[in-house]
Amino acid sequence: MLSSAKHNKINHSAFSISSSSSSSSTTSASASSTSSSLGQNKSQVTMEEVWKEFNLGSLHYHRQVNIGHEPMLKNQNPNYSIFQDFLNMPLNNQQPPQPPSSSSIVTALYGSPLPLPPPATVLSLNSGVGFKFLDNTDSLVASNPNSFEESASFGCFAKKRGQFSDESRGDRRHKRMIKNRESAARSRARKQAYTNELELEIAHLQTENARLERQYEQLKMAEATQHQVNKTLQRSSTAPF
Amino acid sequence: MIRAETKTQSKTKKQEQLIQKPPVCLRLKMSTTVRDPLIVSRVVGDVLDPFNRSISLRVTYGQREVTNGLDLRPSQVQNKPRVEIGGEDLRNFYTLVMVDPDVPSPSNPHLREYLHWLVTDIPATTGTTFGNEIVCYENPSPSAGIHRVVMILFRQLGRQTVYAPGWRQNFNTREFAEIYNLGLPVAAVFFNCQRESGCGGRRT
Repeated sequence: MLSSAKHNKINHSAFSISSSSSSSSTTSASASSTSSSLGQNKSQVTMEEVWKEFNLGSLHYHRQVNIGHEPMLKNQNPNYSIFQDFLNMPLNNQQPPQPPSSSSIVTALYGSPLPLPPPATVLSLNSGVGFKFLDNTDSLVASNPNSFEESASFGCFAKKRGQFSDESRGDRRHKRMIKNRESAARSRARKQAYTNELELEIAHLQTENARLERQYEQLKMAEATQHQVNKTLQRSSTAPF
Repeated sequence: MIRAETKTQSKTKKQEQLIQKPPVCLRLKMSTTVRDPLIVSRVVGDVLDPFNRSISLRVTYGQREVTNGLDLRPSQVQNKPRVEIGGEDLRNFYTLVMVDPDVPSPSNPHLREYLHWLVTDIPATTGTTFGNEIVCYENPSPSAGIHRVVMILFRQLGRQTVYAPGWRQNFNTREFAEIYNLGLPVAAVFFNCQRESGCGGRRT
């Protein structure tokens, strides 16, 4: 009986959901409007559409991060794309189990936290890879998290702003890479110059050492022979006394 | 055969470096010639034109003798160094120029070069104390990056009046040499200077 009641609810999908969302207390008007639009297409909701709704569903995302908040759950309802989720919908104000096992099935599709982090990580991955790759995919990848940020905060300025920061971001990264390359080259040159100097110094010191040693030997020899000569006393001059 | 070649090449290079030393065979690495540190570090290029060393130049900060590429910190170069030049005839006069080509930062040296010290009329075999200090010594204290600080020795044609530039930055050694007919340098040495707490260009 209960299930049939729920089933009836589902049949009158659009109206029931919009009413439920409007009844929730803390939702903003825009959120409910999006949810109602989603609700209308509920029966035909496919994965692609859910993904499409991301840009509009940014507000959903922000709220969905705080799982466990009852009104959010009600907003989440329209995103449910499998039947079981409607069965798990609370009749009254009961809170369904968190994060529900049903939603775990659904998260891939309706993905509140899940799909959005992947774009962010993909973006960071891209920045780590080579520059060429960045050029091709930057706009593609960046548009996703970027646009939902924009729509969350700026609304209609979303597209233009997003494109501009995409290009300048790539430019800045390019410039940074060039600067880093130059700095690395300078560092290598510095190291090489110092090494060369030390090598030259060593060579010079070795030759000077050799030279000095030879000189020392020669002097030593000369001194020894002179010493031998002076061993015997000799009369050099005769004094009157 | 290769060894003989390197020996002669290195012989002439050594002769250039310190003319007082008698020519002796050197044992450098087989089949490699060590490039002049002034060229490798781009001092010859950014600041000077290629030249041959003919006069010895000894710069000493405290107990430390400056060799090319030596790493010094501002605390070690606060006071002017002792400079001893070679040559033979006391009647020859030399000019010493000390510049930093990497101001304000090596990646963006738009104030190249910064004149730290300018001493003229240094008689051969003496030092800067016997010369005429046109621009007084200012100790290098870089804030960004690792700067090269170059000391260059020019030979003057005779005693001459050298005018100090209006400001220290954007000095051009090549132009200066041309204006005063100093020709190519006869000696040069450089060291690296970074801020006191710098990491030495190494992150680890």
